[in-house]
Amino acid sequence: MLEMRGICKRYGTVQANRNIDLTVPQGRILGLLGENGSGKTTLMKVLFGMVAADAGTIIFKGRPLTDHRPGDAIAAGIGMIHQHFMLVDAMTVAENVMLGWKRAGLWLHTREISQLIRNASKTYGLDLDPNAVVGDLSLGQRQRVEVVKAILRGADLLILDEPTSNLSPPEVAGLFLVMRRLRNEGRSVIFISHKLGEVLEICEEVVVLRDGEVTGQCLAANATRSDLARMMVGRDISALVQRPAFESRKEILSVDRLTLRDRSGFERLRDITFSLNEGEILAIAGVDGNGQAELVDVIAGLKSATSGRISLAGQEITSEDVRARLTAGIAYIPADRATTSLVPGMTIEDNLGLRDFDRPPLRRGAWLNRVAFRREANSRIAKFGILCAGPNALVQTLSGGNQQKIVVAREIGRRPSVLIAFQPTWGLDPGATRFVIDEVLSLCHGGGAVLYVSSELEEVLTLGDRIGVMFNGRLSRVFGRGEVDMTRMGLMMAGHDEGPDREDGGKS
Amino acid sequence: MRDLGAEPPPSEQQSTGRLFSDVGAWRAILLAGLAVTLAFVVTALPIMVSGRNPLLAYWALLRGAVGSVDAVAFAFNKSTPYVLSAVGVAICFRARVINIGSEGQLAVGGVAASWIALHLSQLPSLLLIPVSLVAGGVAGAVWACIAAVMRIKRGVHEVLGTLMLNFVGTLVVSEVLHGTMGEPGAGFPQSPLFPQSAWLPSLFPGTDMHVGIAIAVAAVVATHRLFWHTPFGFRLRLLGSGDNVAAYAGASLVRGMLQVMLIAGGLAGIAGAIEVLGVHYRLIEGFSQGFGFNAVAIALLAALNPLAVLPAGLFFGFLEAGALAMQREIGVPSSLVFVIQGLTMIFVLCAMGVGFKQQRI
Amino acid sequence: MDATVLIELLSATVRIATPLLFVALGGLLSERAGTFAVGVEGMMLTGAFGGAITAFASRSLPAGLLASALSGAAIAAIIALATARFRADHMVTGLAANILAIGLTSFLLRGLFGGKTPVIVLPTLRPLAVPFLSGLPIVGQVLFDQPALTYAAFLLTIPIHFFLMKTRAGLTLRAVGENPAAAFSVGADPIRVRVAAIVACGALAGLGGAVLSLQELGTFTDGMTHGRGFIALAAIIVGRWMPFRVMFGCLLFGAASALALNIQGWGLPVSSYVIQMTPYLIALAVLCGIGRRARMPAAIGKSFTRS
Repeated sequence: MLEMRGICKRYGTVQANRNIDLTVPQGRILGLLGENGSGKTTLMKVLFGMVAADAGTIIFKGRPLTDHRPGDAIAAGIGMIHQHFMLVDAMTVAENVMLGWKRAGLWLHTREISQLIRNASKTYGLDLDPNAVVGDLSLGQRQRVEVVKAILRGADLLILDEPTSNLSPPEVAGLFLVMRRLRNEGRSVIFISHKLGEVLEICEEVVVLRDGEVTGQCLAANATRSDLARMMVGRDISALVQRPAFESRKEILSVDRLTLRDRSGFERLRDITFSLNEGEILAIAGVDGNGQAELVDVIAGLKSATSGRISLAGQEITSEDVRARLTAGIAYIPADRATTSLVPGMTIEDNLGLRDFDRPPLRRGAWLNRVAFRREANSRIAKFGILCAGPNALVQTLSGGNQQKIVVAREIGRRPSVLIAFQPTWGLDPGATRFVIDEVLSLCHGGGAVLYVSSELEEVLTLGDRIGVMFNGRLSRVFGRGEVDMTRMGLMMAGHDEGPDREDGGKS
Repeated sequence: MRDLGAEPPPSEQQSTGRLFSDVGAWRAILLAGLAVTLAFVVTALPIMVSGRNPLLAYWALLRGAVGSVDAVAFAFNKSTPYVLSAVGVAICFRARVINIGSEGQLAVGGVAASWIALHLSQLPSLLLIPVSLVAGGVAGAVWACIAAVMRIKRGVHEVLGTLMLNFVGTLVVSEVLHGTMGEPGAGFPQSPLFPQSAWLPSLFPGTDMHVGIAIAVAAVVATHRLFWHTPFGFRLRLLGSGDNVAAYAGASLVRGMLQVMLIAGGLAGIAGAIEVLGVHYRLIEGFSQGFGFNAVAIALLAALNPLAVLPAGLFFGFLEAGALAMQREIGVPSSLVFVIQGLTMIFVLCAMGVGFKQQRI
Repeated sequence: MDATVLIELLSATVRIATPLLFVALGGLLSERAGTFAVGVEGMMLTGAFGGAITAFASRSLPAGLLASALSGAAIAAIIALATARFRADHMVTGLAANILAIGLTSFLLRGLFGGKTPVIVLPTLRPLAVPFLSGLPIVGQVLFDQPALTYAAFLLTIPIHFFLMKTRAGLTLRAVGENPAAAFSVGADPIRVRVAAIVACGALAGLGGAVLSLQELGTFTDGMTHGRGFIALAAIIVGRWMPFRVMFGCLLFGAASALALNIQGWGLPVSSYVIQMTPYLIALAVLCGIGRRARMPAAIGKSFTRS
């Protein structure tokens, strides 16, 4: 049904897709497996017409697809269910289906469309009520609304992009049932995921992508988990740094049974328990979206946990706000520079003082001590080698690497007892990456503890004294460095649990 | 490796989208000048439609504004309430609080000052005037707080809240003028003339220019210092930058909104006090008309920069002073000035929308 | 309270609500598509002006009505251009348009007549009694003995409701106001939809102005809308952005004003100015009462950029 040949796509200096071939026969569920940055989403965007490939051909149902946009793809019979739904919460299921659909008529044929929805619902086991308001539906149900939208518009090939990231296990099972029925009706499904277990369960064929290339292709029946994991993450790691063996010191941060439920009731963090000792780096790996962002926000104080406790140096800080935690010694480098850790429109000097502006020495009485601001800024710029026109330059004029240096200079420069670093090398060139890592290490040598959360596997494996993996809101068993290798990491990141010895809780 | 098919991290979007190297105050001035010029050019059209020569009209405008000592004094007096209310509105907007209630705050400020002037007239001038001004400021601050509280507690958007309170404030003036503070037997709703001890002294003897402009300048400088040189001001700048970074840096939205409305209301209230004590020497009906929206316009023209509010406010004041002369001499209605102001605002807003945003935050 | 007073009050309520209703229905379209309709005051004033001048010059009422709609639409077009195309801030652009309208109408009123304020006297619309129905007790006089534009306003609520709720175009408009990205993903152009909604809002608000100048007062004076546009905005919130409820919102504020007007004759020990405050105070009270439960269109005020 679908044949993609030689697809190439480059974003700036990075080759997102290198000569990828993909064939999907009719009536097949194909899994596209890969971690962050493997190129799987880019490939599907090319297929769906959201981006144009640099090279390669696509033939769908015998006809070539070139220079097409999503509208053309839909008309040809391709339906895409995005990770983030394109639904109007305030409207009903029927209204969402009718939106932009000529078939619905100028004067809405609500009754007719509702009947169509009910029929499709029955055929594919979707269990949808056309009159339900989308905002009231669970995420799994909303996903099924997207499915019915695609089906009713005549999709023969459905692309599901990480469809299970927000689903509970029974909802996942429901989705699989729907997928099987679609296949039985002669349609094909491409199931994009990083979760091994699910891919093996539902897909008949698996294609593995890594670094923009196809690294493996096999029938699900013949594949083993280890094979797939290796294909997914295996590559040479050059040791970024030589870390001396770590001797256990005093516990500085303790996290006990942290749970976070978001507004729709979905558990983003489940019973997270771990401890952090002075001078050590606890590195946490995992594919984006498995709860890491929530974990760091909760520990830093930007979000409140639903239940659980956090203690710093023996004092409980669970209900303390951001400022109090900062004063107590928790520094935080968030993932998002532009809207959280920096104000691009402010000067470098002001950004360096972003978190301490209402305390001495930056504050003197009722005034800001501008002299102190300048002094601190100059010393930090020199010490951390920030390339800029001066402390008065606006942050938005700096490169990404230099912007991150400001955040690092500010957060690490205060010698915190605990540093939370979330994706600290995101979007940075090798030089800037090196800088960040060096600073983190020097903090540890000085006795600081670091919680290093990143989806960069090399960094996690070489920096972490202890290493854990987050999947579906849970923290895996925590290993010492050297106890775990790439393949095992890949398995854990893809959801293959280690088994019964998780009571350990990571307190080693 | 990053998932490159996904959205580039937001920092990338920001820096590739709108990169201004060395954005300076000159750019803001250029933008303001451009908007004003464009507004004048466009406004020439209605002037021509009404059968007059735009160039003659603008010349009369200029002469009316700066042509004589009296004209200049008059223009400075007119500018004073504009500058005071606009600087308060500017910091409100900086904190993303849209306060358009200067008119109501000014009105109640005038009422409070009038009350003091009339009822505490036995005080010596040295005390009476400051007390009246302070009373005006307090009244205005309270008035602004009502809207702030409604927003905080009940989610009533401050645009609607301050707007409705504008109308109520103006009616309060009418109410007291027909009641306890009215002058019996006067043909026009007004209070009795204030005792001379309550009149604002003039800045330069022999001219009509009262000390109000000095107060306005002081307010501008003080607000500038407050905004750029205190932790309080720092917090306001953070609030205006976004919810995420404000939370990260520990700035509270609720406290910030209240504080900024108090200041803006206080300044507008003082402006109202200055009007009754320095221009009319009594409370008269309708003295607060039109100040609300002008304050917004001036604040925008100044790119929300406290110091720049001074020249922007002076511009508006001189513009209106000149417009009255223009109406007298050429017969072009003075309401033209609103057209210029409205157009200027729109042009500035468009430019801000496409990326010439205010520079240093 | 005897029947005649009651009838007069109710009748006045309906009458006063009429301009509010035109403006509110227009504002409803704009806000449902995602743009704050803060500029309706200016649109209304311009419409009142355009209608009055045209009717005066041409001695034709239909021409005046058409002109009022076009005038309001013209101001709306400026706002639409600034907000949808240049991504200017919605609130403040609306305010700027209001200032512009005040100045422009004031200026042209004199400018077009040789620099002096003309005395415009226009025949106001007389009530048209609906045969038979106007004979009904109480209801007859209140509902069926009103001028033409009043009938038009209240009847307009019906097609607006059906448009928004039952047509595909209305569905698209609502989607643009809730989640423009979703609308874009199914082929709609949010910017074009918003521009259309704002201009339609201007036309309707202009008609609301015509009610003032052509039906109620028979003249045009500076700033004659006097905040009615903003009351209409409050009515939209009270009506939770649904056409029929907005109609009741307008009636509510109409009642408040009618009460304020008539109460002076009752000799109550309340000054007339306090009474004049009541519509605004009621507006505030109602808004506070509704509080955060007012669920506005989700994407209102947010600019849409094609990324």
